[in-house]
Amino acid sequence: MGSSCSWDGTLSSDEFHVATIALSERWREINPTSPPWTWIPSPRLPWGAPKKADGYLSLESVYHLNPKEEHYSEGSCIGEEEPLDDATLVQSYNQESHVYDFHILYSASYRVPVLYFRGYRCDGQPMVLEDIENDLPSISSKQMKEFKWAFITQEEHPYLNQPWFTLHPCGTSDWMKLLFDGGTPLNGDAVIQKYLSSWLSVVGQVIGLRTPLEMLSKSVQ
Amino acid sequence: MAAAESPTSVRKVVVHLRATGDAPILKQAKFKIAGSEKFAKVIDFLRRQLHRDTLFVYVNSAFSPNPDELVNDLYNNFGFDGKLVVNYACSMAWG
Repeated sequence: MGSSCSWDGTLSSDEFHVATIALSERWREINPTSPPWTWIPSPRLPWGAPKKADGYLSLESVYHLNPKEEHYSEGSCIGEEEPLDDATLVQSYNQESHVYDFHILYSASYRVPVLYFRGYRCDGQPMVLEDIENDLPSISSKQMKEFKWAFITQEEHPYLNQPWFTLHPCGTSDWMKLLFDGGTPLNGDAVIQKYLSSWLSVVGQVIGLRTPLEMLSKSVQ
Repeated sequence: MAAAESPTSVRKVVVHLRATGDAPILKQAKFKIAGSEKFAKVIDFLRRQLHRDTLFVYVNSAFSPNPDELVNDLYNNFGFDGKLVVNYACSMAWG
């Protein structure tokens, strides 16, 4: 990828694969109790050996317990934890939990990561965009109006052939370059190691997935 | 909430604002803020100074903090010598 001053903010597919390993290892180290980011290799084997980046990173079953709050945690569906009595029924109703799956794919045309996600209710009912927007932090609706890259659209998941929601990758390389230019100069390897954590700290804010500060704290450098 | 504030929550952090990209440089590029404040307050300060509603704000280690994060937590993870370097850029409407 060359020196960071001439770097254009993109990754090759091999670099993407290295970056996914760095993200999932660091995530596991910091959040040992939360669901892990797992590499899912492509089930398709078209011609010859599959490329290294032929797969995606997956974080599934993230519970969004309090719609309208920027808060997520691992938990269980309504009513499983404690016996309900009249006093807690109302509260449980308000805390209807939504479950989110997040996938990070590599876009060969933009040479950057792309976030795909879907949400569903405890009964398995998939959520439509309107419901998802109610779960998003209030800052997102503003960003969606202002930033073209923060638009959520529904597209076919390239590996699963199902409709998933996605954030368009246009602009990603520009703001990734900016993120790293403004900081301490880094060599190429260090950028790849930190790339997905940095990227996630930005896109996670749009969809309400919090990136722990420890993912990139100074102790990592 | 907590009855008594712990010493860390009243600690002041010096925020250094650093323009990147095409962002204008501010006359007041440093200010003190209580560690118990949220990062949202830093973003609001920048918005007011730059007269921009949307800004790309991030700390020195290529991390864009959630507005809800506490300045103290950011300092503990990304700060040094009592300072927290915060970069800002205006052009985020690419694409």
